[in-house]
Amino acid sequence: MTTWFSIAGWAFIGGVLRYWLGLQLPTSPNFPWATIIVNLLGSGFLAWLSHAKKLTAGWPSALTVGLGVGGVGAFTTFSTFSVDSLKMLMTQQWGLAAMYMGLTVVGGFIMSGLGVWVARRWFTFPVVER
Amino acid sequence: MMAVGVGLGAAVGALGRYTITRYLQPHVSNGWPLATLLINWFGSLLLGGLTAVGWGHWLVVTVGTGVLGGFTTYSTFSHEMVMLADQRRYGALISYLILSVGGGLALAALGFWGMLPR
Repeated sequence: MTTWFSIAGWAFIGGVLRYWLGLQLPTSPNFPWATIIVNLLGSGFLAWLSHAKKLTAGWPSALTVGLGVGGVGAFTTFSTFSVDSLKMLMTQQWGLAAMYMGLTVVGGFIMSGLGVWVARRWFTFPVVER
Repeated sequence: MMAVGVGLGAAVGALGRYTITRYLQPHVSNGWPLATLLINWFGSLLLGGLTAVGWGHWLVVTVGTGVLGGFTTYSTFSHEMVMLADQRRYGALISYLILSVGGGLALAALGFWGMLPR
């Protein structure tokens, strides 16, 4: 039950933060920079959090799960990525669509990889973690 | 007070994602990230449909940005890809990537054209 409330509370914060960043970041008329930034930041942070065992070992599991699944999970989004890509394809902006999808997929992969690497390097116990 | 709608929606969406992943993923024998795929597919389908119907701004933001934004997730998708690469399961990595991105696009299109007022 605690886990549920924690997920809900963190997801509230994550969702509002994504919405707020979308309003704050300078919008270029047809390129969703805000979604890219949100998804890349979240990808790096979730990967790091999932492996930073030295840090999270002392946390209640409701906090770790709430922050990861709820907070970061709700902060990032896949549905907007799909629909925004679709809009670019429907308006035949092929280059823009390729750039958006490329930046999100490759960038997200790099950020997640970096998150895992940093956590394994400095935030994990000296046991080989798999 | 749009932000409150987004926050509450995101909480509902995230709990839905947690529940589905928790009950579905343990049944996938080889650990292929099926739960996240289905969640992101379903969310893309619904957001595609939501884009086509002419609902009011408040409802679109609450359901689209809030519920569906909180339900679907990019960070888990990215992290799962990295873990598949880490385990050298390149076939699983490629299939997960193509199904997620390609399927998400196809389902968003299906939702969009399915809900276009005629």
